[in-house]
Amino acid sequence: MRLNKRNKKYIFEGFRYSTLTIWLVIVGFPLFWIVGTSFKPDAEWFAWPPVYWSETPTLSNYANVWMGKEELTVTQYAQSMQKPWKALGNSTLVALVSTSLSVFFGAILAYGVSRYQVLTEARMFQLLMLRMVPPIVIVAPLSLHYSTLGLLDTHLGLILVYFLTTLPYAVWMTKSFIDEIPMEIEQAAEILGASKWRTIWEVVLPLARSGLVATFLFILILTWSEYLLALLLSKTEVVTLPVELSKYEGSTEGRVYGRQAALAVGITIPLIIIGIFIRKHLARGFSFGMVRR
Amino acid sequence: MAHIEFKNLRKEYGSTVAVKELNLEIDDGEFLVLVGPSGCGKTTTLRMIAGFEDPTIGEILMDGRVINELEPRDRNIGMVFQSHALFPHKTIYDNIEFGLRMKKIPAEERRIIVKEVAEMVHITPLLNKRPGQLSGGESQRVALARTLVTKPSTFLLDEPLSSLDAKLRRELRAEVDRLHTRLRTTFVYVTHDQEEAMTLADRIVVMNNGEIEQQGTPMDIYSNPKSYFVADFFGSPSMNLINGEIVEENNKLAFKNNQLKVQIPDHFSDKVSGKVTLGIRPEHVKIKTDGGEIQDVIDLVEPMGKDTLLYFKAGAERPFIVIIEGLVTNDFKSGQSVGLDFPDDKVFLFNEHGQRL
Repeated sequence: MRLNKRNKKYIFEGFRYSTLTIWLVIVGFPLFWIVGTSFKPDAEWFAWPPVYWSETPTLSNYANVWMGKEELTVTQYAQSMQKPWKALGNSTLVALVSTSLSVFFGAILAYGVSRYQVLTEARMFQLLMLRMVPPIVIVAPLSLHYSTLGLLDTHLGLILVYFLTTLPYAVWMTKSFIDEIPMEIEQAAEILGASKWRTIWEVVLPLARSGLVATFLFILILTWSEYLLALLLSKTEVVTLPVELSKYEGSTEGRVYGRQAALAVGITIPLIIIGIFIRKHLARGFSFGMVRR
Repeated sequence: MAHIEFKNLRKEYGSTVAVKELNLEIDDGEFLVLVGPSGCGKTTTLRMIAGFEDPTIGEILMDGRVINELEPRDRNIGMVFQSHALFPHKTIYDNIEFGLRMKKIPAEERRIIVKEVAEMVHITPLLNKRPGQLSGGESQRVALARTLVTKPSTFLLDEPLSSLDAKLRRELRAEVDRLHTRLRTTFVYVTHDQEEAMTLADRIVVMNNGEIEQQGTPMDIYSNPKSYFVADFFGSPSMNLINGEIVEENNKLAFKNNQLKVQIPDHFSDKVSGKVTLGIRPEHVKIKTDGGEIQDVIDLVEPMGKDTLLYFKAGAERPFIVIIEGLVTNDFKSGQSVGLDFPDDKVFLFNEHGQRL
């Protein structure tokens, strides 16, 4: 029997949706598990068979992590843990400053590459290659340098390393958005009497805005959730949220999964909120400006 | 108003030469059209006047002053781009006002000027819209208005109408012409469309391979082409050009190819020999139902309304076309043999290098 066009379409659609469903389960399950665990009382953290829906949901994990309310049922709770608010402050400062620097300088460099070819194609590619070096390779020499320079366990130290390691992404992403802006639009502004800076301010930046916002969020997510460099370049002072998160299953602190989940949810929410606020730009930015023309 | 002069202007991009030793003067208030095929250097020349390209060698003078080192914004020039290049994030009003703001004209005055110019090019109802909401013709009018407000001494127009359809193109062409008549400033207009060049120009400069091939009034260019290239470029349908050679018969010179043989006018006799190209415009060939210098069979009859085109083979690589006034489909049928006469004063001969003999 030959398949007619309509049956073919049904089969194709069926295949499409089942693939997407499997993908959704794979991606969604960890999220479901984290959120679920954050509401479980401690007895359910390790229970076997696993508890999918908590019988007795509780807010005590959140209260404990975010408001410091101690419940003595957790025997292995260690006092060495930092309060998450401090980690939140560290993360916010480090991520925002390094991302801003990265996007700002990345955009300037990208403008130069796009308009004046300040870097050749080969150099641009090398810039990206730099990012392909596994961070663990650079972190050991870097921590030595950092200790001599006094940058170990400082905000500045982390900001610097995040700024430099995300700069290649910033250049590549913003360049693709600046390339989208026709040269003639800039020239039109110039011949109408605008200076170079004026042209950038009034014409280039507004047209590249969505792209810059998308780049900013992308890099913010990278720095916000970076773990390895933060772990090895900080000690006790500049602990960021991912490092803080890992302390909940360390050998000394024990496995306080519910608390860890409550912290993890708290870490993720700011990114989701930012994403919602700028979703208009994201949709345009991540389509790489193709709709604009 | 501005008088522009190029002295030995040359522009190279790496090893390719875009413009070779260009010497040209553009008079105050003149409408000059730079025309030629793509890659002939016409747009590069225009962009050098604007200041977006620096000449490799040579000088550009404006009213006697060398402007090579001047920034585009200091040249008091207006430019209309092929892509219109409107600011997509600004309203039409803001687009037009932009140049005035850059010149620090007071707000009250700006409002008056924008209104005035918008009326001049009939775009007043569009002022609150954004470029994305406009049609091609409308955005070209806005581009004109945006340039007009700054009262430049020279207008540079880079194929401004090429993205529009035929009807709109004719309409806006007339608009550009009217603007020039009204403003009487210098216009430099780049196009690859010979019809635009013919209708708009005070003077046409034909460019080819980075050089001036010929310059003159539209009539001059049309009726007196100096080369095969110019002859072929101007006119629609273009000039009939047939390759062949000169032969001598009975002490008279004749043009001959595999299909036809024509006596050539006496005034050529001492200049020609060997391989040549014969050219004659479609409207200059005379059709005779009996007699005629050469006989050929009509290949196709194409009624155009006002005129009728007759297609012949005539041993040419392209169809040999004759234009007859009026609709004559009843008098001529394809397959019919007719006589063709080439009036002596309308025949052109070009040598192997494309130069007119």
